Amino acid sequence: MQRSLTGDQRAYASLLQETACLLRPFLARRLSFANEVDDLTQEILISIHKARHTYDGLRPYKPWAYAIAKFRLHDFLRAYYADQLRHAEDFDELEEILPEHVTETAFGYESIHNEVQKLPEKQAAILQMMHRDGYTAKEVAEKIGMNESAVKVAAHRAYKVLRKLLER
Amino acid sequence: MENIDALIVTLTKEAQAVKPAPHPFRLSLTWLVLAAIYLALSLALFGFRPDILAQFHRPWFAAEFAALVCVLFTTSLSAALLSFPDLHQIRRWAFAPLAAFALLLVVLGFAWLADNPPAPLPVHGFECTLSIAFFSLLPAVWTLLVMRHFASTHAPWAGSVALLFAFSVGALWLRVYEVTDSIVHLVEWHYLPMLGIGIFGLWLGTKILKW
Repeated sequence: MQRSLTGDQRAYASLLQETACLLRPFLARRLSFANEVDDLTQEILISIHKARHTYDGLRPYKPWAYAIAKFRLHDFLRAYYADQLRHAEDFDELEEILPEHVTETAFGYESIHNEVQKLPEKQAAILQMMHRDGYTAKEVAEKIGMNESAVKVAAHRAYKVLRKLLER
Repeated sequence: MENIDALIVTLTKEAQAVKPAPHPFRLSLTWLVLAAIYLALSLALFGFRPDILAQFHRPWFAAEFAALVCVLFTTSLSAALLSFPDLHQIRRWAFAPLAAFALLLVVLGFAWLADNPPAPLPVHGFECTLSIAFFSLLPAVWTLLVMRHFASTHAPWAGSVALLFAFSVGALWLRVYEVTDSIVHLVEWHYLPMLGIGIFGLWLGTKILKW
């Protein structure tokens, strides 16, 4: 790190590589999905890069790097659980749904095909691939050259529009 | 993993030589020197209370002043440490303000007991809090602005301690400027508002020290 602070790019690259190797098992123990570990590792590396001036090279490097890693991990978990809460079903709503046939669905993809066609082109294509052709979000992302999270976001938005269309 | 490799290449290309941040002791000392200059200028402008020398001969005034100076020193040190992600690996110093506030509390307790017969209450009240808050604005702004250049991983605490540092500059100034000896007034309008400022700082820290 001391060498990288003086602008030695090779030393810096090797430091970041080693840091990434340190962080992966640390994060893998705390997160469930490999893509989350990758995303967060990248975020932590960016934070280390932004905060590198706060490290003087005179004290141990690992506690400094782990302090940033823990900080970003907590940020991530806070956002994750907040998101889970936002999408959590209300018990009152569940009570309305439960007496109905919860194991059968009134809608197949074919029955809402017409509504799907009314969506913007990209959203419709994503829903078709995910629900008619059975691709996962990751596979769809690879096929249409988008980021996996962007595909999930687009699908989520499409569901919201569809719900409105079907409720009319 | 490919994405991480690509990111490392990008970050490496961006990496230029950087000047390491100053040691937190040095940072704290800088803030204290600035606070001393600010206090000196203000006192030169507004003047001391007329009985200042006599007051320093009163043991509880001197003890209260010393405790307030301790609060100033420790909050400045703690704010400097909290600006670093790892608290510069001298974590225990960040808790120093707790000891200083405990000392101030004890001193105020004894001063309360010694205030017999009680000194008359001044006619004003919240004006003191407002004056301290107004006087503290500049130190608060400069401290928080400097702290933004670092990378605090304890933003709420950092914000709180920074505001307490600034407020203690104001409290110190008012103590040597205003002719008030009523301990009830001091507790109510000089020191209790510190609690509110600390809580406000918790919120402000999350907004200002985000990175």
